[in-house]
Amino acid sequence: MTRDELNAHRLVKEAQETELRAFTRRHFLKESAMGLGAVAMGALLGSCGLGGKSNNDILYDPVHPLLPKAPPFLGKAKSVIYLHMAGAPSQLELFDYKPELMKMDGQDCPQSLLAGKKFAFITGVPKMLGPQAKFAQHGQSRAWVSENLPHFSTMVDDVSFLKAVSTDQFNHAPAQLLIHTGSPRLGRPSMGSWATYGLGTENQNLPGFVVLTSGGSFPDAGKSIWGSGFLPSVYQGVQCRSEGDPVLFIKDPHGMSRDLRKASIDAINASNEQEYAAYNDPEILSRISQYEMAYRMQISAPEVMNINDEPEYIHEMYGTQPGKSCFANNVLLARKLVEKGVRYVQLFDWGWDAHGDGPNNSLNIGLKNKCRSIDKPITALLLDLKQRGLLEETLVVWGGEFGRTPMMENRNGVQNPYNGRDHHTDAFTIWMAGGGIKKGFTHGETDEIGYSSISGKVDAFDIQATILNQLGFDHEKFTYPFQGRPFRLTDVAGKVIHDVIA
Amino acid sequence: MILLSIPDLIGRFHPILVHLPIGILLLGCLFQLLTINPKFYVLRPAVPLIYLLGGLGAVFSSVSGYLLSQSGDYDSNMVGIHQWLGISVSVISLIVYTMYKMQARESLLNLVAIVLIVLITITGHYGGSLTHGSDYISSALKDEVKGKAAIPPIANVQQAMAYTHMIQPLLQNRCYNCHGSEKQKGKLRLDGKDFILKGGEDGKTLVPGSAEESELIKRLLLPASNEDHMPPKEKPQLTAEEIELLQWWVKQGADFNKKVQDMKQSEKEKVLLLSFQTGAVKKENKLADIPEKEIAKADAAAIEKLKQAGVVVIPVLSTSNYLSASFVTAKASADVLKLLEPLKKQLIWLNLANTALDDKGMQAVAKLDNLIRINLSRTAVTDKGLALINGTSHLQYVNLVGTKVTVAGVEQLKALKELNSIYLYQTGITKDDEIKLKKVFAKVNLDFGGYVVPTLEKDTTEVKPPVAK
Repeated sequence: MTRDELNAHRLVKEAQETELRAFTRRHFLKESAMGLGAVAMGALLGSCGLGGKSNNDILYDPVHPLLPKAPPFLGKAKSVIYLHMAGAPSQLELFDYKPELMKMDGQDCPQSLLAGKKFAFITGVPKMLGPQAKFAQHGQSRAWVSENLPHFSTMVDDVSFLKAVSTDQFNHAPAQLLIHTGSPRLGRPSMGSWATYGLGTENQNLPGFVVLTSGGSFPDAGKSIWGSGFLPSVYQGVQCRSEGDPVLFIKDPHGMSRDLRKASIDAINASNEQEYAAYNDPEILSRISQYEMAYRMQISAPEVMNINDEPEYIHEMYGTQPGKSCFANNVLLARKLVEKGVRYVQLFDWGWDAHGDGPNNSLNIGLKNKCRSIDKPITALLLDLKQRGLLEETLVVWGGEFGRTPMMENRNGVQNPYNGRDHHTDAFTIWMAGGGIKKGFTHGETDEIGYSSISGKVDAFDIQATILNQLGFDHEKFTYPFQGRPFRLTDVAGKVIHDVIA
Repeated sequence: MILLSIPDLIGRFHPILVHLPIGILLLGCLFQLLTINPKFYVLRPAVPLIYLLGGLGAVFSSVSGYLLSQSGDYDSNMVGIHQWLGISVSVISLIVYTMYKMQARESLLNLVAIVLIVLITITGHYGGSLTHGSDYISSALKDEVKGKAAIPPIANVQQAMAYTHMIQPLLQNRCYNCHGSEKQKGKLRLDGKDFILKGGEDGKTLVPGSAEESELIKRLLLPASNEDHMPPKEKPQLTAEEIELLQWWVKQGADFNKKVQDMKQSEKEKVLLLSFQTGAVKKENKLADIPEKEIAKADAAAIEKLKQAGVVVIPVLSTSNYLSASFVTAKASADVLKLLEPLKKQLIWLNLANTALDDKGMQAVAKLDNLIRINLSRTAVTDKGLALINGTSHLQYVNLVGTKVTVAGVEQLKALKELNSIYLYQTGITKDDEIKLKKVFAKVNLDFGGYVVPTLEKDTTEVKPPVAK
């Protein structure tokens, strides 16, 4: 062996050893155990028909992220209008009639109801509080609705009540997040994002997921409640207004002509395209398409989102307040948007947190006024969708993030100055209408004081599963890959509430 | 729950263990018979060892089989035959081993090998019948589909015998396999009144009058993941209706000799029972949103042309070739409408709302004869244009809101047998016409709209807090 040969031999050996050193024990374990396991698993799943691409894989097209797509299953609903009463309305003053609770009014709460329970504010032994409204049965379905909703009580034969909804979150923000994103913590995509991700939207001149707020404040969970989480950002909710400019800064600023605007957007897009060529990040393509959509929206949005061109009798029907920002205006706008092909309209109305710590937060004053502000609009919405032939394909959902206790709130052990109730997670009411939901039906029941559910118990995941089902998805198959695993809206839970599906 | 005893555990391995001696002994017989040909004589020294191993395996299998039979879950007749056959296989295989050692005559050895093959086959067959049911093989030949209705459709449910015609067939098709004459898992038989009332090893299975206390119902309602759920999750399950039927029957006293009509039924239960009738309600519900008939894929180029014109064309669901088209961002000009014709077989949902569509344009629409849903609201269509679609026989949903159609125009649609809803808000239809139309379209949901939500005093006022004293 010559020196050169020896050196060459050494070099090769060294290279081989270096290469081998790069494989740690971890690699070995991973490669052997996981690798073999994965191969076997893949083969097994493949033979079960689970592997490979299924029809449920929604392809995300970064250039046209909002183009309409067909759902994997036949959907009854094309659009959703979700009316969220932020703060949690009291089911005991609206839908869940409990005469037995009246008999206990003023008595100390039995220990059996308090043992092992946590409340947001109640401490010590609170007093029981009877229903603070008169109830009557309505319609052919003989559903109980209180005097607080005289208009809506005429609509009971068109809706399905879920009387035994439960949650595990007793603070507003996490409970709201749970209902709309499937997790009480920040970071998951909201239901509207999932819907637009899966189905796109019919009208490319408008956002597919619109959010409208009223009541003077944002929902406690903030804007992430309509965020897109790990879904591409183009699917996040677009917050619009029913008064003034529908979208803030939608008008060209003074001195900016339409042509100049077009030219500047073209320039931005051109530079974004270069960026995309360099980095290949699909979010850049989404950004380009969003600029283009914004440009188109400048023309179409003010027209569609202007509720003032609706005839007088429609304004009368909804009880709108021209020139103001209010729930009724938002509801009318929601109907207009759905008519124009918007996929998901999310309304939040703040101010339902009737603790009894002040007149506006009391069951006898504040709650009644809140009811007055939504009663006419929600009734009009259902009737208007119906007469336009749209209720069949529009799913309307109404509800809060949790319910309220049958006990009167005693904050820090001291009776509140007004009649009010604390947050309650075990039983509250949500109703759904249209979009293939049963008419005049009640699912679930609570005990005689409305404290716990005794049958038909459902939770946020069940409601999400049902909404997705009506849109044409199987909530267990509708996933998005993130951090190495497929994520779903309903996480690992949820059961479609077949009982309320027509 | 009682833990399995060791003999029980060994017994449960029997169905796995048996395959060992079967394989070994068959190999031994095969080698033995092959050695008839001198070419294979080299195999001969292996034969006695194979017989010995097979024989020992057979003995061990017999023991485990005997332990399994003690569970009493099996038809004792069949177990008896299987048991003696198994024992004879073990004995004969050990005998044939000794015959080898004593250098018996070759022809005799061949004969015993053949006998052994026949014996193993028969024993194996009986063993298989015990685990899978005696109709396991024959049922594959019969045209029986898994998940087929457990209860054959009944001509008139109310006249039927509740037990004989409904409950018994249901139990037979879903339970007898393990709780019948051949197997009695959990010492329970369900094939007959006396057996059902007797119950199983866990006690009574049926409490007439109380579905809640009846084990028979409770087990059905357990989640499928629960170990006690019946039928076991890999077996065909009962439908929700079938469970409700059983619940109703138990609740009404679980009578074995009554007619359905003689047992109490709530309104809901009447509907439930009706669903078991021949060609029942199910068909009515089946008036589906999409046709059941498969259809060929539409021409991709034709779809692309429509998309270029701004029309949203997508399948109604991703696995279907049926299409929906929406003009929400497109103009319904004659040129664009013409593009719909190549899709006339596939297009079933069409939304033309808020377009300039007129009677002339309806000529193109009328060619789409598979349409199920059509939205013509706020278009320029009149009675004349509407008349053109009175041959679109599958139409279920017609939206005419905000058009100039009149009662005469709408009446032309009466030939459409599958119509489900017509929306007529803000049309030229008067209050008198409404009554007339309701008679013509007795079964159709007619919506004339014009709903009013009256303004109450409370709608515009607020409750004021009491003034502090």
